[in-house]
Amino acid sequence: MIGQAIADGFLTGAIIALGAIGVSLSLQILRFANFSHSELLTWGAYIAVTFVSFATAGVSVGPLSFGWQLLAATAFAAAGTALLAILVDWLVFGPLRNRGANHLTLVFASFGAALILRNLVLLIWGPEARYYTNELQIAVEVFPDVRMLPDQIFVLALAFAIVLALHLFLRFSRLGMAMRAMAESPALARICGVEIGKVIRWTWILSGALAAMAGVFSGLTVQLRPEMGFNLLLPLFTAAILGGGGSLIGAVIGGLAVGLAENLSVLVIPAGYKAAVPFLLLLAVLFLRPQGLFGAAERS
Amino acid sequence: MKYLIGLGLGAVLGALASQTPAMAQSGPACPVKLGGILPLTGSMGPVGKRISDSAQLAVEHVNAGGGVKGCPVQFILRDDQGQSTVGVDAAKFLVDVERVSAITGTVSSGVTLPILVSVAAPSKIPLVSCCSTAATFTTLAQEGKTGGFFFRTLPTVKTQAYASAAIAAERGFKRISVIYINTDFGTGMVKDFIKAVEKLGPKVVKTVAYNENQPSYRAEVNVALAEKPDAVFFVAFPQDGATMTREWVSLGGTQNMILNNSLRSPEYVKSVGPKFLQNAYGMDNASVSGPTVEAFKTLFQAKYNQSPDGPGIYNQYDAVIALGLAMNIAPNLTGDSIRDSIRKIQTAGGTVVGTGPDEFKKALALIKEGKPIKYVGATGPLEFDANGDVSGAALIWTVKGDNLAVDRTLTVEDMNALMKKIDG
Amino acid sequence: MIGLLSYLVFFAIIVLILGVATLGLNLQWGTTGLFNAGVVGFYAIGGYAFAILCAPPRPELMANFGLPWIVGIIGAMAASALAALIIGLLTIRLRGDYLAITTFGVAVSIQLVTLNWEALTGGSLGLTTIPRPAAGLFDSSLSANIFYLALTLGATALVYWGLESIIRSPWGRVLKAIREDETAAIALGKDARLFRLQSFVLGSTIIGFAGALYVSFIGFVSPFDFAPILTFQIWTMLIVGGSGNNKGALLGAFIVWGLWSASGTFISMALPAAYQTQGGAVQSILIGLVLVCTLLFRPRGLIGEQPTVSRHLAS
Repeated sequence: MIGQAIADGFLTGAIIALGAIGVSLSLQILRFANFSHSELLTWGAYIAVTFVSFATAGVSVGPLSFGWQLLAATAFAAAGTALLAILVDWLVFGPLRNRGANHLTLVFASFGAALILRNLVLLIWGPEARYYTNELQIAVEVFPDVRMLPDQIFVLALAFAIVLALHLFLRFSRLGMAMRAMAESPALARICGVEIGKVIRWTWILSGALAAMAGVFSGLTVQLRPEMGFNLLLPLFTAAILGGGGSLIGAVIGGLAVGLAENLSVLVIPAGYKAAVPFLLLLAVLFLRPQGLFGAAERS
Repeated sequence: MKYLIGLGLGAVLGALASQTPAMAQSGPACPVKLGGILPLTGSMGPVGKRISDSAQLAVEHVNAGGGVKGCPVQFILRDDQGQSTVGVDAAKFLVDVERVSAITGTVSSGVTLPILVSVAAPSKIPLVSCCSTAATFTTLAQEGKTGGFFFRTLPTVKTQAYASAAIAAERGFKRISVIYINTDFGTGMVKDFIKAVEKLGPKVVKTVAYNENQPSYRAEVNVALAEKPDAVFFVAFPQDGATMTREWVSLGGTQNMILNNSLRSPEYVKSVGPKFLQNAYGMDNASVSGPTVEAFKTLFQAKYNQSPDGPGIYNQYDAVIALGLAMNIAPNLTGDSIRDSIRKIQTAGGTVVGTGPDEFKKALALIKEGKPIKYVGATGPLEFDANGDVSGAALIWTVKGDNLAVDRTLTVEDMNALMKKIDG
Repeated sequence: MIGLLSYLVFFAIIVLILGVATLGLNLQWGTTGLFNAGVVGFYAIGGYAFAILCAPPRPELMANFGLPWIVGIIGAMAASALAALIIGLLTIRLRGDYLAITTFGVAVSIQLVTLNWEALTGGSLGLTTIPRPAAGLFDSSLSANIFYLALTLGATALVYWGLESIIRSPWGRVLKAIREDETAAIALGKDARLFRLQSFVLGSTIIGFAGALYVSFIGFVSPFDFAPILTFQIWTMLIVGGSGNNKGALLGAFIVWGLWSASGTFISMALPAAYQTQGGAVQSILIGLVLVCTLLFRPRGLIGEQPTVSRHLAS
């Protein structure tokens, strides 16, 4: 029972982590809490389902419920969602930033953008739940009393690989360094010749693409619904803040912590309260360690 | 004050929006307006959308069969978005500005109740709900708080809960886990189910309430699974239900599944995969098989190219037709007369009228001659009791091959015997 | 025309109740700069406290006292104040968007409590037969509603007047000073955190008051009345009307709620039946657009804050 909860916690956590990285990037580089980020997950998942409906999810490969088409769809969705993120920035956040608006104004704008994006999904794809494939997998017992789906194991591994690749990118590429510099101090970064516009663009591309992947994975292991992203909003933010906003590894560990806490909590409290668990975790962290588990102490 | 100016402005806008000034005339002003309030967006959107199809179909049948007192019926549909404030505002607008003669629809009890107590009952407008199951309505009616203006075309959850408990005992299940939606519908169902089951033999080993709109229900499923039950009872709506059932089956849960009425939808069966549901059974209210049920099915299928199986669809059709007949019987279209005429569509020994435009036409002819009628609808014979509730027969359904099938029906008499056995 | 009048009375009551909530939020955000994203949580506490105090007792519930209306209102305000005090003590030192996320979580948790604590809140069934004040005196629903309109109008005027005088008081000036430059305010010897806490508690009390007015009007309360979307609607009202200005808060409530209702009507009239099911989505997109466009093109709202200039400078 506890083993199963831990395994499920890792899976939920991995998906939350992918989404939380984007939240974290926007907190640190764009410097505002983007409440519309969770809608990018929904868009990613739905763009992929549209691709799949043209190409089908493909013949199952090995034990998986889908074929290479779904991976192609994921790549397509990542690109599409990245474009969407840039479009929203160009229409809404960019003009506000250029006007020198207060960062909380950007947060309000993100509320509005979230509402628009979510309801566009409803308008375009309708309210019914969707699936990538109607194949249902039977879980395999990976450890005694711990069952996982082959899809889930695949998703976990893929998420891990993506995080590793991103880590290397931020650590060693020129652009990655520029992004980190911008996160440290925008003023200094500008003086050192970092192209702010380019960094911002790439921040959106990365957040959008990662959000799309999180959306597809969540849709693959559960189902697609217009509210799927919105329902992940609190977990995503908790994970990002838990990790200390801006630190990649922090966001990942934050995501896993949230996933584990949610799944383990039902062992001790009624399942009806599960949705409050990320919040309680957040409250505890903010109270005990406001800079997050992995953040450096606030520099003012 | 600025907002007073604003109010004046609103009055002008509102006046522009309402095209029909209230006219004191004998005989109804054409068209006769019927208000519909359904959740078309939000988490209940997929359910509400199909119910609205059914309501539109019923209105078409009423109009094709002669309308109400020679007037066509205009159906004005509003979205409550699952929010009570929005629903109440829509109801108030329908009643006061559009001047509808009755309201129908209203799915979740959380929206129906405020509409009833703050709009329908005070304005004396009948409210015929397709889908609100809360026991509170019966209590309110007994206390006289509804003014008799509330009716619903589906039985309270008790019928379903008792019937499924009886079948669980019959199939020899010993240990049952329950996963249920944390709404008045789910809690009500589970309370009655536990009461019945404990009386009849099997044991409920675990109940897990779930809140709607979770990203995943794996945690809930695991808790229910931990007791290693030999059967599971899902009380859910098709979308959440499909997620949950898939997770249940993948994690190795038993395929002895008991399903509630909302899951009797092709969408659910398709999402889960029919091969996993061969051992499952569910119950539904009434829909006793018979020519009137079949006629409705055929007409619905022809119009929407979709099966009408799913939560609230049969019930909404009957809600509209019941109102259409009552309005024709009523001497005038005030709320009081319509309320008092609703039970006249179920006169014992009256000529039986069924579903579809032709049957509606037949009913109108009988009403004109002053002959009694007995409406047998899409959910079988319909009888409102003193509280506006219908008592019902139950139906047991299963999945055969790829499709939903009716296993057998429990008649009203069977159900009464069962109730007696359980309630003592 | 009586029907239209009846609807407008009803509409005005809802606008005024939402207006009171927006006024409470305006004290927190417009005046003090506190980002409360959990408005609906305090609205719910006020509503439930009122219902529990005033609804007639039922055997299946542990509380429900059937107390007089005014006791319920005071109790609702006290309950929201207490909740705000506890939450404020925990969170008030957080910076803007962190406070937003925490209060958002507070609202989610409060809704879960109302849903799961069946013995107190009636769980998903909610609480019914909550009385209106002086309900027995009126024989038609219109006259009862007109009375309630007068009552809410009085309540709104009272809150409006109270807030206006508070903002002009030395206390109000400190709040604005903290919003503009917290460091400077601290340097002047003001305990910024204490002032922020006071503003948070007072604003939430007003929001709770609005919740109680709403529940008393509708006569029924259930957890589904307090979805997160309501927080968003109230925020939109404040931003569209103009934050920092109490008149703007009321105007915003009127415009946004009016737009919401009018667009619903328009959709049900204009769209063919087959497309009506998408109407709600169009409505939400419209509200989102109104918010975003206000921020982009009229950042101070319709009537923004009046600039305050020291009278020493003005002369």
